[in-house]
Amino acid sequence: MALSPGRSGLGAGPSPAPYRLSWRILDALEAVAARWPARAEGAIRWLLLLPALLVVGLLVFGLLVMGDASLRVMDFRTYRLSEQHSLANYVRLWGWGAFHATLWRSLGATLLVTLLCLVLAFPYARALTRTSSARLRRLLLVGLFLPFFVGQVVRAYGWLVILGQQGLVNQVLGLLGLGPYRLLFAYETVLFGLVQYMLPFAVLMLAPALAAIPEEIERAAASCGASPVRALLRIVLPMARPGLVAAALVVATLTLTDFAMPAILGGGTNDFLANLVHDQFFRTSNAGLGSAIALVLTFLGTTVAGLLLALAGPGALGVRGAR
Amino acid sequence: MTSTAEAVPRTRAHAEAVPAVEALGLGRRYGTVWALEDASFRLERGQFLTVLGPSGSGKSTLLKLVAGFERPDRGHVRLFGAEVDTVPPHRRPIGMVFQRLALFPHMTAAGNIAFPLEMRRFDPREIPARVERFLELVRLRGLGHRRPHELSGGQQQRVAIARALVFEPGLLLLDEPLASLDVRLKEEMQLEFRRIQRELGVTTINVTHDQREALVLSDRVIVMQGGRILQEGEPETVWRDPAHPFVARFLGVGTMLRGLAEAGPAIRIGDRRLPGRAPNPATAPRPGRPAVAALRAERVRIFAASGSPAPGTGFACRVTDTVFEGDRVLYELIVPELGEVRLRAVDLDPGGHARYRPGTQVTVAWSPDDLLLFDASLEPGSDP
Repeated sequence: MALSPGRSGLGAGPSPAPYRLSWRILDALEAVAARWPARAEGAIRWLLLLPALLVVGLLVFGLLVMGDASLRVMDFRTYRLSEQHSLANYVRLWGWGAFHATLWRSLGATLLVTLLCLVLAFPYARALTRTSSARLRRLLLVGLFLPFFVGQVVRAYGWLVILGQQGLVNQVLGLLGLGPYRLLFAYETVLFGLVQYMLPFAVLMLAPALAAIPEEIERAAASCGASPVRALLRIVLPMARPGLVAAALVVATLTLTDFAMPAILGGGTNDFLANLVHDQFFRTSNAGLGSAIALVLTFLGTTVAGLLLALAGPGALGVRGAR
Repeated sequence: MTSTAEAVPRTRAHAEAVPAVEALGLGRRYGTVWALEDASFRLERGQFLTVLGPSGSGKSTLLKLVAGFERPDRGHVRLFGAEVDTVPPHRRPIGMVFQRLALFPHMTAAGNIAFPLEMRRFDPREIPARVERFLELVRLRGLGHRRPHELSGGQQQRVAIARALVFEPGLLLLDEPLASLDVRLKEEMQLEFRRIQRELGVTTINVTHDQREALVLSDRVIVMQGGRILQEGEPETVWRDPAHPFVARFLGVGTMLRGLAEAGPAIRIGDRRLPGRAPNPATAPRPGRPAVAALRAERVRIFAASGSPAPGTGFACRVTDTVFEGDRVLYELIVPELGEVRLRAVDLDPGGHARYRPGTQVTVAWSPDDLLLFDASLEPGSDP
């Protein structure tokens, strides 16, 4: 502990109030800070931003390269992209039924998973922020963070073990004289896996927004004559909007671009756009078409995020300057 | 009233005889600790009651039980004659102003004030006019379109008051809404509360730890400590005749003297017998037992050492400190005759300066009527 008198300062000896080493270090730092040119401070603030900007900037560079590739057609005789630019890849996507099916499947999953996650995360986050029992809160927090220790791929394989023909569920059903049912490789299974994966993210984004609503506000709503349901609809949900939007944003963008759940739980029968991109790059080796799909995916993700942020209005995510 | 949502009927016929609020032996326990024990009181219609006490005295718990945010573990609450123990808060005819106001930040001032009308199913055509009327009542005309954060602290207070009163509740609860205000705004809002309360004649329970506020606003005062009601009465009575040493202390008594009780009643300190008055027979000291005597600083008169009062009534003492407060001067005194006891005295007419410097010898005196005697066992840490 910082207060323990054991570690006294350098050569402080048996003096009644030893000057601690940590204080000396702070003194030294302050001495440096005192001589620091004041004008450098503003520059340093921006300098610290640079690494983050670089990393994000590199991503934009990659996007530009893909944008260029998407305008070139793969020549399968030479396995090289054409020299000329054309919209041929996009035209092909327009007329390709499987692509349309995948697109709508991805968008549908995004909508459903986001809604389900919000509905399921809300009571969890509310219990987390409202319970007066410290033990229950700890339990809920552990339950929230435990899934993060298990990666997405590992978790998907776990579901294979549980939901497979010889899996846990079918064995239990077998004992009851039912089944076996084919539970894997269905759209519902993919959705289920995605909801299970995204739920902690949604709770994490939602909890701070709910914690920011004072209990007094809900009491005030009751004293105004609002039943708990009407208080929820008229007061709590509108006040929780930044958190709801943040949660929706994270879940929607992660779901739309998800790869592992449809690949493993869908087993190729329920591909999302990311799986299509992967196939074009690494199975068909058509970097041109893959890039085109990737750009469509990026465009969709940006649109979804933009729509959600527009819906939230100013003050979304609680990121706002001081009033 | 067009409200139909209330579970508690408010008919006019037999109403006048029935009190607005009755608490019957209320108790509330958190874990093993009783936050409130055996609290009973009765509040007539139109009266303004202040529940006064330090934090942890149980006053907020009492308010929560009346509002219905919590259920009593013992006893009952009756509102306008009806037992409401199973009635949820949103069905009680109660408007409330909260400590941190709890305005709805996503609604305008007018939206906040209209909210209880919508929730209590008022005729939608009637709502705008009523909101306007109450905006006017709290002197916020023309500010209805602003959001709470666009209003000043005092204006937010007024919105909260209007929101609590707009549906003309039978009972108004104030949960220390003035606690966080600076002194000037606080005094302004106190007068504002009183004006509005009188204008509407609404029965009110106010919870506070500010004794001045209690005296300024109330028709009746309840003083609480440690989960119990120590005294209930009119402000003047509670001030003049505190029933308990804690009440005396909480209402600003500066000096507590310790000694032995004697018949008369009186208190003996060292060689001196000081005649006094026991304001409440239930807490009066029995002769021969330890007693405490409460003495208000402003009832102590100070004389120059030479110009002493009637013989045998004054005490020689030494000034140890003076505090000049402009309109009054506070003296800290030591009385050697009473075993070096410390005494506080106030000179209410100092004429712009402290007459007596520290170290000066003076004489003090007071009327036996102003020396309030209590059983010493009521005063914590009173081992003789």
